[in-house]
Amino acid sequence: MAKVKGLKCKECGAEYPVEPIHVCEFCFGPLEIVYDYQEIKKNISREKIEKGPKSLWRYIDLLPVENPTVGLSAGFTPLIKAENLGKLLGLNNLYIKDDSVNHPTLSFKDRVVSVALSKAKEFGFDTAACASTGNLANSVAAHAASAGMNCYVFIPSNLETNKIIGSLVFNPVVVAVDGNYDDVNRLSSEIANEFGWAFVNINVRPFYSEGSKTLAFEVAEQLGWRIPDTVVAPLASGSLYTKIWKGFNELIEVGLVEGKPPRMLGAQAEGCSPIYQALKEGRDFIKPVKPNTIAKSIAIGNPADGPYAVKVAKESKGDIQIATDEEIIEGIKLLAKTEGIFTETAGGTTIAVLKKFAEAGIIHKDEVVVAYITGNGYKTMEVLEGKLEKPIHIKPSLIEFKEKVIGKNVKVGG
Amino acid sequence: MHSMKLKLIYPEEKIKEPILSKVCKNFNVDINIRKANVQEKIGWLELEFIGDEVEIEKAINLLVENGVEVLPIEGQVFIE
Ligand SMILES: Cc1ncc(COP(=O)(O)O)c(C=O)c1O
Ligand SMILES: [Zn+2]
Repeated sequence: MAKVKGLKCKECGAEYPVEPIHVCEFCFGPLEIVYDYQEIKKNISREKIEKGPKSLWRYIDLLPVENPTVGLSAGFTPLIKAENLGKLLGLNNLYIKDDSVNHPTLSFKDRVVSVALSKAKEFGFDTAACASTGNLANSVAAHAASAGMNCYVFIPSNLETNKIIGSLVFNPVVVAVDGNYDDVNRLSSEIANEFGWAFVNINVRPFYSEGSKTLAFEVAEQLGWRIPDTVVAPLASGSLYTKIWKGFNELIEVGLVEGKPPRMLGAQAEGCSPIYQALKEGRDFIKPVKPNTIAKSIAIGNPADGPYAVKVAKESKGDIQIATDEEIIEGIKLLAKTEGIFTETAGGTTIAVLKKFAEAGIIHKDEVVVAYITGNGYKTMEVLEGKLEKPIHIKPSLIEFKEKVIGKNVKVGG
Repeated sequence: MHSMKLKLIYPEEKIKEPILSKVCKNFNVDINIRKANVQEKIGWLELEFIGDEVEIEKAINLLVENGVEVLPIEGQVFIE
């Protein structure tokens, strides 16, 4: 018996075979992978996983791929006990899941893209595509290059080219479309329907998004096969947040861990917070917003998984909070100076929101808390321009050094 | 024959205008509405346009000119 039963509409429950499709023919709802957990339970064990590859593929029994060929070193990132930040926030058991060092393009997108393109190859696609100007494009272009696939990246034409150097270096075909984001999106979905390409975030999206579950699997294993009490994660489309939840629930379902799934705390930027707003106003639908924030990597105004993220927040007795641009910068700086980790704005948002929840007493001091750091600060250093201490300028003179540097900063001697 | 699944989002001040009806009258496209939520302050529809590619493009342009956001249904596409 196969581990994957098929695809199923999240809205009306209509069932579909395992194919590169993503929208329900009847109600236009999103499709999701359905597993045979009874069957998986028979084959899976902690020992088997621990002997597996040091990558996200050690959890292949819970992923919709039979034969991984792309992204063989993605995942398996460090989980760090954050003693310094924990002390500052009054949390005794704070951990950082550090996907800022994911391989090869330094964000959690390497997980989802590995799964998407491995599946795409199984389906027989030879071309990978996406519409993105950031982390997603970096990862698709890199993985397509190493997998020997053709690659197309779609962007709006008013974008400065230096913004996409991190994708261009992998030599994809970059198509700059005259128009705004809506236009690029519409064209992308038309192309996905017409050409036999794997559009990672369109026709192979049900497979793609499953990759985020490994953020839950790894954390549970790294904690010694236990589930944290609370996790904090950023939300853009809401996919990562809902799949982390699904991942922990699956571990319980197949008997790898005991206990209950974690409380899901979420983080959005104030300048793009449609999911936070829906939760706060008690709506089960999302009112799209026009993003206006420095946190570009999580600025999705019309989040596809928004309603499901709202559901997860409620079901897990969790909550979603927001951070201003100023707080996001402070969050980036706080993580860097306490734990030596340089994250980008999504991570800054997560840390800022973690701080708010801790200060409000919503997180108890002895809870096991995991904050998900999903991207790397070296990609978006411009957001810190003018926000950091300046170098101290001196002449090449010992006297001046003692006066201006030592005299100012630390005690002499010792 | 071509078909396209779309989500139309109306700005608050346009909810009461018969924009979709204009589309039907002016272009040769069939409209197949699957889901909708139209209230005082929110208006969106999920539908399928069926027709010639050129006609569908014209229909989309008319909607956009009238201030309607026209998005693909297809999951989440753009990530900056
Ligand atoms: C660094 C980073 N963190 C978090 C996210 C959120 O992803 P999702 O769309 O799954 O909510 C993204 C994706 O866009 C991202 O690039
Ligand atoms: Zn359906």
